[in-house]
Amino acid sequence: MQKDIKISVFEVVGSPLCVASDDGQKVHDRLAIALKKARRVLLSFHNISTMTSAFLNAAIGQLYGSFTEEQIRSLLKVEDIEPEDAALLKRVVETAKLYFSDPKRFDQVVNETREEVNGDT
Amino acid sequence: MRFFLPQQVCHDYRGFEALTQIYSQAEEYFLEEIEIDMGSTFWLDADMCAVFGAILYSLGDNLNTVNLVNVQPSVERILSKNGFLSHYGRVKIPDSWGTTIAYQRFDVTDDRFFSGYIEAEFIHRIEMPEMSTGLLKKFRESIFEIFSNAVLHSRTRLGIFSCGQFFPRRNKLDFTVADLGVGIRQNVCEYTGLNLSASQAIAWATVEKNTTKGGSVPGGLGLKLLGEFIDLNGGSLQIVSDDGYWQRVNRNSSSYSLGHRFPGTVVNIEINTADTHSYVLTSELDVDDIF
Repeated sequence: MQKDIKISVFEVVGSPLCVASDDGQKVHDRLAIALKKARRVLLSFHNISTMTSAFLNAAIGQLYGSFTEEQIRSLLKVEDIEPEDAALLKRVVETAKLYFSDPKRFDQVVNETREEVNGDT
Repeated sequence: MRFFLPQQVCHDYRGFEALTQIYSQAEEYFLEEIEIDMGSTFWLDADMCAVFGAILYSLGDNLNTVNLVNVQPSVERILSKNGFLSHYGRVKIPDSWGTTIAYQRFDVTDDRFFSGYIEAEFIHRIEMPEMSTGLLKKFRESIFEIFSNAVLHSRTRLGIFSCGQFFPRRNKLDFTVADLGVGIRQNVCEYTGLNLSASQAIAWATVEKNTTKGGSVPGGLGLKLLGEFIDLNGGSLQIVSDDGYWQRVNRNSSSYSLGHRFPGTVVNIEINTADTHSYVLTSELDVDDIF
């Protein structure tokens, strides 16, 4: 059996501040390679103090555009993440699932806004 | 050409009207000498330096020479302490009370530089108000969300400007980020095809899951998170983009149209530093249940 791969976010980003989308992309690229090879990944947030939704969207949210929910669930695990950061990650994941799974939703939002705007005028 | 600032420039509707009016009158100038007469101005909210600086930088980009004249001593003092007047020929003076958060300009590629600035201004300063660990973490995240939004959406070539001020007696901390980008209205209209006014476009962008971040990376959470934090904290959030003015105070959002446009987007966050809300989750999330 192949060993799990451990990726340290701190090591990839080089800072406790995970705020930039570009840094998230670096994490994503490593994750994507491992997941494509069906390797199990342990993503460590050890020593990370601050995260933004922009970083997490790039690092993890966009994985849902290339991999199924089942693949990600079975292959990706996180550790050493603060409870508040885990809550933010969960919201990013929920948003990403919606973003990629329901393309019609976008048209619906636009149509709803159009109706609201027309109603106001 | 001389323009006059009013008696007060606060981060409110009238403050934005005053600054955007100057921009609207001077935006077509090229190779002119522009004087901003501050002789009547006895109060300028320091965080509004981000907005003022962005406008003056934009005018400077047209090779105009900008001078600030007749600056009142009280205003000169605070704008010298936060480094704003250093950009206009004055000397920076020490901030003995430590209530200013320096005025800075960043490029969109300056993420790391911005992070260092926030660390230096908010973390490694003994003068900062005592905030709970949870509040400080949420506040920093909020500031980074604002900066990330500017980086991701503004498409600015002129930069991102920031400035802040702490008011110890009022337990308030204001921080403003302004970008000279395309503005929220253009982004929303290009992406959705909707013909919204600027204030409608801002309101649209603050709704969770509404995003102009197309392509492979999802978005649509940043401004919503900011609003949620402000609701819990008892502070306020203000967004100005183009001629749209939107604010959220006491869990209520309202929007208006300005008489003139700002050439980009401004986000101001005011936090209540005496907030004792823990920001710690009552029930812990199972990390195996995230995906």
